[in-house]
Amino acid sequence: MSSLPGLKEDCEELLGAFQQADTVRFERFAELWRERRFHTIFYGRIRALERNKITKKTLDLARQYFFPPYSFQIRVGALYLLYGLYNAQLCQPKQKIRIALKDWPEIQKFHLDLLDSQHYDAAYIFRRLRLARAFHFTAMPKLLTYRTKKKIEENYFKEEFKDPSNRVNSLITNDVLEELMNVHDHYQKMKCVISADKSQPDKALSLIKDDFVVNLKDITLEHQEWQQSRMKLFRNAKVTPETENKKKEETWLESEGPERASALARIKYKSYSAVVEVSKSRRHRQVQLESSESGPSCGKSPGRSKKASRTPQPARRGSSEVRGEMQVAEETVTRHIGMPVITEEDSDEGEVSLPKRRR
Amino acid sequence: MAAMAAEPAVPDYESAELYTRAFRVGALGFGWRQLLGPPDLSLAEEEEEDADLAVAAALDCAPATAAELRAVCSIDMLMSSEKEEDPDVIPEDSSLLTLRMRKKALERREETIIVDRACRQETLTFEMESHASGKRPDNPTDLIEEGELLLTLNIFYPVIFQKHKDHKPYQTVLVLGSQNLTELRDSISCVSDLQIGGEFSSQPDQAPEHISKDLYKSAFFYFEGIFYNDRRYPECRDLSRTIIEWSESHDRGYENLQSVKMEDYVFNDLSLKIGFPYLYCHQGNCEHIIIITDIRLIHHDDCLDRNLYPLLVKKHWLCTRKCFVCKMYTARWVTNRDTLAPEDPCFFCDVCFRMLHYDAEGNKLGEFLAYPYVDPGIFN
Repeated sequence: MSSLPGLKEDCEELLGAFQQADTVRFERFAELWRERRFHTIFYGRIRALERNKITKKTLDLARQYFFPPYSFQIRVGALYLLYGLYNAQLCQPKQKIRIALKDWPEIQKFHLDLLDSQHYDAAYIFRRLRLARAFHFTAMPKLLTYRTKKKIEENYFKEEFKDPSNRVNSLITNDVLEELMNVHDHYQKMKCVISADKSQPDKALSLIKDDFVVNLKDITLEHQEWQQSRMKLFRNAKVTPETENKKKEETWLESEGPERASALARIKYKSYSAVVEVSKSRRHRQVQLESSESGPSCGKSPGRSKKASRTPQPARRGSSEVRGEMQVAEETVTRHIGMPVITEEDSDEGEVSLPKRRR
Repeated sequence: MAAMAAEPAVPDYESAELYTRAFRVGALGFGWRQLLGPPDLSLAEEEEEDADLAVAAALDCAPATAAELRAVCSIDMLMSSEKEEDPDVIPEDSSLLTLRMRKKALERREETIIVDRACRQETLTFEMESHASGKRPDNPTDLIEEGELLLTLNIFYPVIFQKHKDHKPYQTVLVLGSQNLTELRDSISCVSDLQIGGEFSSQPDQAPEHISKDLYKSAFFYFEGIFYNDRRYPECRDLSRTIIEWSESHDRGYENLQSVKMEDYVFNDLSLKIGFPYLYCHQGNCEHIIIITDIRLIHHDDCLDRNLYPLLVKKHWLCTRKCFVCKMYTARWVTNRDTLAPEDPCFFCDVCFRMLHYDAEGNKLGEFLAYPYVDPGIFN
């Protein structure tokens, strides 16, 4: 990215304006694009080799906005942006947009959301790109050359583009809670097993608060409820003006205004809750767990016990915020693995886990 | 390793942004092919016509809406409707930061540059990169199948010059998932294959008969704990045996090293990590680091002639050592203790070497030892 000065700013400016417009209509996006004459982004006396490189990097940059953690609307904007950039490029043959296999489910989900909420223009443009064979279906988003970077690029995300409230949800998903409870259960059982009195753990082993998990669950639930009620307020406040705007914009689709708006809101909401679902990294880890069953420390109940003894991965938590969205899945893994450690830390200070994680 | 067991592999980072977990190459192709439909995989020359009815069916909307979509979402909506523009010229009043900065950079360049044209190396790089793109075979049977995997490999030269301390020179090769490892092995050109051993001052014509490639045919690739040995010829030896014995003889921390035959494996069978350094070793100890930088499905803009793979798309330009006499041609001979030469060792091209050191009948003149010399830049 460093070799393309200004491009990030330009893309974010365009997407920001699109966000301001508070719509997902392509017509509006095209207006904004034309205002800025965005297709001239590839202009200038550049030779073919350089042009290929620049184009690749440009598409690579735009593609990043097409994935979470960005909000539904920004992702639609990114889709339009990719469509525009892909077709405006001057390379012959055209440079392609790289899509990694692990990101495809995310795109499929996004596509379904588009269809469900009848955002025909976005769905149509996605279809156009696929038919134009604008994608390279790859193993990884970038070429990997095993070159350790001397200067680690700060890959920050523009806060305003993100879904504002999904942090807690993505950290403490229902699955994590469930798993946490299982781990806790198992932890207690293990303690019982090694204690003198088999029915109750030794006092000396009482290192964490027993009700920690339950408390965490309650707090999370409370937070979720608070958020939902806030969302409702937000939606109710918005529906009326939005409908008016939309009606003007969408006459060509002849769709009912309020229906649209609520569908949009539903989708927006969906994209919040979407993150809460099981990430694929978890599935992967499940496999690992089962395969590590044969370990000697397993004791009675298989599978689960390994988790507690699993050594935490090298600490990445500090940098996790700024890394690429591709890492979201991996980060989750890191957190999961580190989980037992966190539990212990937190218990020393009481139930401070939420603010601490929120950063 | 868990990903290996699963049917379609979804590669993910093992070390963030650096390399992936190990997965089976073929499983990646399988995974993609399961997810994508024929239009995505199609290698047909022409883009598919998108009829309104098809759109309507796909999006579950009325055909009239589809027609409307075609108009509203047309790419013309994004292009300026005004007069023809010259893409070389950056518009004066652009609001785009990228363009303003690029304009400044280009202007600065214009002031300082003397000759404004692509240098030879740039032309070469571009040519190499694009010479085969979109090429289709004359014979339809050589057409690559849809859904085939394309691997990008960086093969490094075993050079340890000081000037390459930071950026090791390498060549980039594209291979197909269905290709045999031996096909890659045969396509890797390295000077150590062309070395000619021995002293030939008395019979310079016999030198070419002793090329190392024909004498020492053993080689292996190393991927994820498995040595893939070339055993196609009876004289091939298992070069990996010493390494395996070495690792087993003491507790070296490398367990379960295996040795298999290279010719039995295609790339789809391999299990590897993208971005992780592996090894190609030939001529006993000529070691090339190999990094698989990318694996993706073949695209209709790629070279689709199976026979052109493994396809070299990038190589490093190495300096060549020139003949001491004509200073023009690449050196082919090196002499020691040469009474006719001012230096020891001294390099000659074939013509100059023979002119200086032999008379018209081919008799040796003066005292010298002559060795064939193979320049690393010979593949430029």
